[in-house]
Amino acid sequence: MAGVKGMNEVILTVRRRTQLTAIAWLRWRLFVNTLRTTRGQLELLSRILVSLAFAILGLGGAFGMGVLAYVVLSQGKPQMLAVFLWIILLFWQAFPIMAAAFASSPDSSDLLRFPLSYGSYFLVRLAYGAFDPASAIGGLWSFGILVGVSIAKPALLPWALLVLMAFAAFNLLLMQMIFAWVERWLAQRRTREIMGVLFVLLMLSFQLIGPLTGHFGKRARPEVQRFVEVLAPAQGILPPGLAADAIVHGIYPQWPVALSSLALLFAFVMVIGYGLHVRLLAQYHGENLSEAVAASALAKDRQLRLGWNLPGFAAPVATVLEKEIRYLLRSGPMLLTLIMPIFMLLVFRFGAMNSARHSAGFLTRTPNLAFPVAAAYTLLMLTNLAYNSFGGDAGGIQFFYASPVSFREIVLAKNLTHAGILTVETLVAWIAVASLYGRPALDITTATLAGLLFAAPVNFAVGNLLSIYSPKKLDYSKFGRQRASQMTVLVSLALQFVVVGVGVSAFWMARYFGNSWIATLLLLVLAGISLSIYGIILNRVDRLALERRETLVAELSRT
Amino acid sequence: MGTAPNISTQGLTRRFGDFTAVDGIDLRVSPGQFFGFLGPNGAGKSTTIKMLTGLLAPTSGRIEILGLDLTAHPIEVKRQIGVVPEGMALFGRLTGSEFLNFAGRMYGLDRETAAKRTAELLDFMQLADQPKKLVTDYSHGMQKKLAMAAAVIHGPKVLFLDEPFEGVDAIAAGTLKAMLQGMIARGATIFLTSHVLEIVERLCSHVAIIHQGRLVAHGSLEELRAGVEGQTPTGSGDGSGDGTIPSGEKMTLEQIFLHTVGGSRRTDQELSWLG
Repeated sequence: MAGVKGMNEVILTVRRRTQLTAIAWLRWRLFVNTLRTTRGQLELLSRILVSLAFAILGLGGAFGMGVLAYVVLSQGKPQMLAVFLWIILLFWQAFPIMAAAFASSPDSSDLLRFPLSYGSYFLVRLAYGAFDPASAIGGLWSFGILVGVSIAKPALLPWALLVLMAFAAFNLLLMQMIFAWVERWLAQRRTREIMGVLFVLLMLSFQLIGPLTGHFGKRARPEVQRFVEVLAPAQGILPPGLAADAIVHGIYPQWPVALSSLALLFAFVMVIGYGLHVRLLAQYHGENLSEAVAASALAKDRQLRLGWNLPGFAAPVATVLEKEIRYLLRSGPMLLTLIMPIFMLLVFRFGAMNSARHSAGFLTRTPNLAFPVAAAYTLLMLTNLAYNSFGGDAGGIQFFYASPVSFREIVLAKNLTHAGILTVETLVAWIAVASLYGRPALDITTATLAGLLFAAPVNFAVGNLLSIYSPKKLDYSKFGRQRASQMTVLVSLALQFVVVGVGVSAFWMARYFGNSWIATLLLLVLAGISLSIYGIILNRVDRLALERRETLVAELSRT
Repeated sequence: MGTAPNISTQGLTRRFGDFTAVDGIDLRVSPGQFFGFLGPNGAGKSTTIKMLTGLLAPTSGRIEILGLDLTAHPIEVKRQIGVVPEGMALFGRLTGSEFLNFAGRMYGLDRETAAKRTAELLDFMQLADQPKKLVTDYSHGMQKKLAMAAAVIHGPKVLFLDEPFEGVDAIAAGTLKAMLQGMIARGATIFLTSHVLEIVERLCSHVAIIHQGRLVAHGSLEELRAGVEGQTPTGSGDGSGDGTIPSGEKMTLEQIFLHTVGGSRRTDQELSWLG
């Protein structure tokens, strides 16, 4: 029996080695195969450049950390080591999230179809993590601290090595645990969208840090100091503080304290390791992350729901409008795009409050222009929708073609949706401008609305043509870059130049003659012309959509 | 025999550059027929169904549905037909209920009828359990059932189905078949493409086979069988491509199909290492 058991162990070990070699080979082949295309070769070039930057960051940082560690130890301030270790931890954990930004990463769970043992799977995950740039840089920085500490206190080398290795293990496991749980949340559409919105809001909120600290920083200094005083002891019971504490007490030496700090650090390593183990074990056992499981908890809702009704419009127009609104309300990225104008007003306002008096913000100096600028920006953001209005329908475009509804009605419904959004956004922008820059004057408000009456139909008309002539499939749930077609970008730019040029000219003429109402009048005349152009194009949409049906169906139904 | 066909094509042709996907097809499908349209991969089935439903313009030829010229009266034709195309044509970010409601109203039902039929169809298709689930989160089979529900919500007289049973479980397939047979009994016409020949054989009264863009067989199952049996010697094989048909046995649709398109099954002799 013992012989058979021993043989089994040998077979298992050999199999594990074979599997791990095969996985390493797979990663290598995947990399080599990307070089077959020009894009892949360019990717390699950029990867080399990025690797060089990482190397400089890693080695330079390691040198800096080493010098700093040496200096603080030489000057008898070893407690400062905690600051460096916190920097390492924050970088190690935050950098992969920033760098990945929801891009695809190698999915190790794909390997589970093979007879891989749990141990091998765990190892593979750790290996993926260890080769991450954040781990390499974090590891180099930790090594720098080790060198600095060892030069200052040579006898401390073995102890510092042990502590810093535990600290590095903690970071590696924590990074993998965060990724494993983020993967879990990203596996379902609903949680993925929530995560996406939170991520983008986090990125946007960074824009406000500068202005806000500039604005409140001077006044809140005592409060900030009190906050730091409370924070300092609290950080001591967290891994960077514990690692620093273990090294500090190894210097004096107070071994019971140093050992207890290290023991606590190991406890953190175990807890985080367990958190990772729970996640990976669930993956290993083939957890079911399908939406069916998440949705099955929802209560049954059997009551009849009537579709929308839009007085004055045919039923299909109301139906498509309802569909468009539902799509929009379920699209985090699109909603985010639409709140951008308000957000930018906030950034400009706080930025101006923070800037030196001689360079106050443009809108603060000319608050009268805040509403026209906000309205123009709102319209610009709306072009994302209006210039590719079938993009989100994807395969649904076939339904439109198969249904007994004219494209004129479908496009009209889409444009009504866009107009509705523009109306609401303009109203919100007006309120935001009134709160941040003071209430816009009546003549400016009217001229701006007249400007929108001119600009919106012309944008919708061109948008309808572009939606038919250069459609591009869009995933409304996806964050990140989804490029419009080059033709759309080009035409959009040209049109915005013309529209903005006309608007500015109208305002300039009004200023020249000293009567703002001239701008309103001019823009209303232009609005009449642009509405006629819109009408003409709308009436030709059916024919154009029929002529372009193959391109539209092929482009939008593409999987 | 004198009844006007619900679907008819004359010289229906579609070219993509130099390639002719559908080459001068003449079809006649009578009212109440369950019509199976078969062909090997790339034969031109989906191209034909796309042209019949207005999703693709023919290069030449004429299509009449319910006696109306599709090119001249597209809206009137579309109002009376239902379609489950290859890509299913769903709106992923609506719930199943919202999508059916949307489909009903697009086909001209009033709000109350659309809502009532939506509820009935969701129940019938066993999709009512998760009302808040988005279509994009449905399994493939559930999406197929939903596409089918959307295609019939307005009670079409002619139904076009491109691979309707692909990815659908056995229970749902049974439900769908019962529904389709009920439609046929009430006088509707169904035009179906499928690679599952057993299903076609069980459901369809008439079959057409397209091969390399040309119609190579067209008629009732019995007519097709008689045609093939008349040309083929009987033998001891299983009729799956050895050039003979088993003596004393009725030919299956699969045998007819293989004889007609000239295909033969590969055996696993070359892969003898397979357990």
